[in-house]
Amino acid sequence: MRLQARQVSKAYGAQRVLDRLDLSIDAGEVVCLLGPNGAGKTTLIRTLSGLQKPDSGKVLFGVEAEDENILKLRRNIGIILHQPFLYEHLTGMENLRFYSRLYETALDEGDLHRLMSRVGLGKTRPIPVRAFSRGMKQRLTIARALLCDPQILLFDEPYTGLDQQGCGMLNQLIQEESARNKLILLTTHELSFIRQIATRFAILHHGRIAAEFPNAGVSLDALQEQYSTALGAEKKPLMERL
Amino acid sequence: MKAWLHSVRVLVWKDLLQEWRSRDILTSMLAFAVLSLFIFNYALELSPINRSEIAPGIVWVVMVFAGTLGLNRSFTAEQDQGCFEGLIMAVPDLSAIYFAKLLTNLLMMVFLAVLVIPIYSILYNQSLFNWAFFGVLALGAWGYSAAGTLISSMTVQTRMRDLLLPVLLFPLLLPVNMAVVKSCGVLLGSVAGQDINGWLNLLLVYDAVVTMLSIMVFEYVIQE
Amino acid sequence: MSYLSILAFALVLFAFVRVLFFTPVEQTMGLVQKVFYFHMSAAWVGMLAFLAAAAFGILYLSRKDLKWDTLTAASVEVGLLFTIICILSGMIWARPIWNTWWTWDPRLTTVTIMAFTYIAFILLRRGVDNPARRARFSAVYAIIGFISVPLTFFSARLLRTIHPVVFGGGETEMNLNAQMVATLFISLAAFTVLYIALLLQRARLMAQQEELNQQMAAVDSDYDWGE
Repeated sequence: MRLQARQVSKAYGAQRVLDRLDLSIDAGEVVCLLGPNGAGKTTLIRTLSGLQKPDSGKVLFGVEAEDENILKLRRNIGIILHQPFLYEHLTGMENLRFYSRLYETALDEGDLHRLMSRVGLGKTRPIPVRAFSRGMKQRLTIARALLCDPQILLFDEPYTGLDQQGCGMLNQLIQEESARNKLILLTTHELSFIRQIATRFAILHHGRIAAEFPNAGVSLDALQEQYSTALGAEKKPLMERL
Repeated sequence: MKAWLHSVRVLVWKDLLQEWRSRDILTSMLAFAVLSLFIFNYALELSPINRSEIAPGIVWVVMVFAGTLGLNRSFTAEQDQGCFEGLIMAVPDLSAIYFAKLLTNLLMMVFLAVLVIPIYSILYNQSLFNWAFFGVLALGAWGYSAAGTLISSMTVQTRMRDLLLPVLLFPLLLPVNMAVVKSCGVLLGSVAGQDINGWLNLLLVYDAVVTMLSIMVFEYVIQE
Repeated sequence: MSYLSILAFALVLFAFVRVLFFTPVEQTMGLVQKVFYFHMSAAWVGMLAFLAAAAFGILYLSRKDLKWDTLTAASVEVGLLFTIICILSGMIWARPIWNTWWTWDPRLTTVTIMAFTYIAFILLRRGVDNPARRARFSAVYAIIGFISVPLTFFSARLLRTIHPVVFGGGETEMNLNAQMVATLFISLAAFTVLYIALLLQRARLMAQQEELNQQMAAVDSDYDWGE
């Protein structure tokens, strides 16, 4: 199983967000995508998941994507974006039950309860999601992403809203999934947490992967250093460029 | 096809459950409708004979205006909580999302009709308990929901949202308005025996055309 | 000035002169009937513009090229202009003939609803900032708006046949001889060319405005705010 972006470009009007980007991720890898705000990390995740079509270039899933049953492909991707995808008036379990039925999974009540426990929501009372804290919503979103037991996980800033315990839970979850040979790509600004589990870092800047390096137990400072260097040369004041 | 129907069923059930929990939309629609009936009474001050003639008009107008409250809210959950994306990743075809919303909106309109008819009958002392009348209202509600669901899926993504819905929707509804009011007038016996087949045909054509067209273009509305 | 604009101007001027000086006065209605040639031509252009907008909309949805969207928007604006001209000229014509400013005649109802749909279209475009989304929504609304026009027309006509009440005059006979019919066709042709000229001008202007907006946005986002 391999996820590949080949020469992917995407522009919003005159602004080029992705510029002939190449990236490939294999099963068992945990790739962390880094980059400044507005670099295009979210756009890349959305393009890889199929929610957005690139202007040019291809996204390939091992086999040529066009031949595969699109629905099966989509259901094999667990995605987390900035917004939680939750229905406010339903309880946590009801949300999971709804998505589980929609995805046509074979999960029963017991399985759903186990999933809730796995993300640390096992003991919550049946209250509507409206009353959940931000952290609880994020945990539920993570649970929702795992419903189909997808082979590919695309997480955009998954640590948002999670407390220390939550971040630890997410790290453990990612390691468990990675051990089951899943393909994981995530974006984050939480360098301290991600360096514990990432197998590789990729830095997105000016629409391309500016740097890629494996996570060979590099220290936090070294990581910061590498990150700044990759971005450093790029900033020029406006007058120079006109 | 089976998968499509299954996803429609699951989506409708979710919407109904959401509404049952909050009861936001139904209660406001009902309150709006009843208050409008009151206002109409004082605004129009008609003799019983004239009142019976315009009954279908009043009932339908009240439903159209109250219906916009429901339509405005149809997609707010999907838009504000980003649920569109979750649904896009899950359904066999995007038209299932449209059709499910159409059914939900239709059910709310039918529910409204079920409550407005007796309330009108009591307030205005005129029995509107007529199955054919209710049937035509339901057909009209289908056309209304078909156009309304498509339009609200667009307006919810704009800056102006609620403000824009009536402006965009009402010009498209003229055929439905006419057909419903005219045929109901005949059915209630307030207008002397005329042929309503023309109006019913028009209504059926409108419902079919708008539904089919919306199913075809819906994917362009919600997907980048 | 493009050749098309010059041609359009010449044709309209020609039609105008012909209507005023070289077309006989209609016997029942008198001089005011001459408004009819422009009224009818404006109505024709209004319908044509709507059809074109829907067609451009379909082209955008299938090709995803923003130039089709620009044409859709330009067509609607020009169409709205002509539809208003049609309604106003109709009212000017109706007053002396039927002694009323307005009738609930099927054609008038349909044309007015079309005008409202046009206005709604423009408001919809105002409410969306993202150009691609705006284009998609415009295309969808243009298509569904266009489909509703014949449905509206048939409803209004059905109303008329069931209620054959004469509203302040009703169907008045208008006698046209061959010369007047020729004038009518010249008028229609002139207005059609005028529509195309205006459409292309408006589309060009819109495209330039949009490009300017995009460049400004790109400059803003590239700017190093000294951080």
